[in-house]
Amino acid sequence: MTATLVYLGCAITSVACAVLLVRGWRRSRAHLLLWCSLGFTGLAVNNLLLFTDKVLVPDIDISMYRAVSGLAAVIIMLGGLVWDAE
Amino acid sequence: MRNDLATLINGATAMGSATIALIFVRYWFRSRDSLFAAFALAFGIFAASRVAASLLAADDHAVWAYALRCAAFGVILVAILAKNRAT
Repeated sequence: MTATLVYLGCAITSVACAVLLVRGWRRSRAHLLLWCSLGFTGLAVNNLLLFTDKVLVPDIDISMYRAVSGLAAVIIMLGGLVWDAE
Repeated sequence: MRNDLATLINGATAMGSATIALIFVRYWFRSRDSLFAAFALAFGIFAASRVAASLLAADDHAVWAYALRCAAFGVILVAILAKNRAT
């Protein structure tokens, strides 16, 4: 039960962060917000896959998809931050 | 082989998260904006929790690594909401 709540919490908070950052980017069009919103959208996907993997389909191993989505999110965000570094 | 690949990917993600944390530390030093400090802290926690989750993968205690990740997202959420309210 605790584990389910933790995975659900990860999914909900990561989606909320992504939504707020995307809204912030749409208002300001700042590059920093663009990369952060893309990165956090990827992290939200990663955490939704975590919840799916651990709670919804525990018999199916989707850990590789989780790992790749997390790496993709970090690479996009890191690449953008480095590219736009002053 | 598959487990080794997943470990490699998680290690790369942890390293990337730590690097992002350092970049936000630099932003914080220049601007003293607490939002950057929160992002730096959160990404440092992301890096640590990924390492912990990989090391504890077969252990029941791995859920606490994810609880740490959830707390980090909570820190970011609070920081963004506080920033939006301030501006």
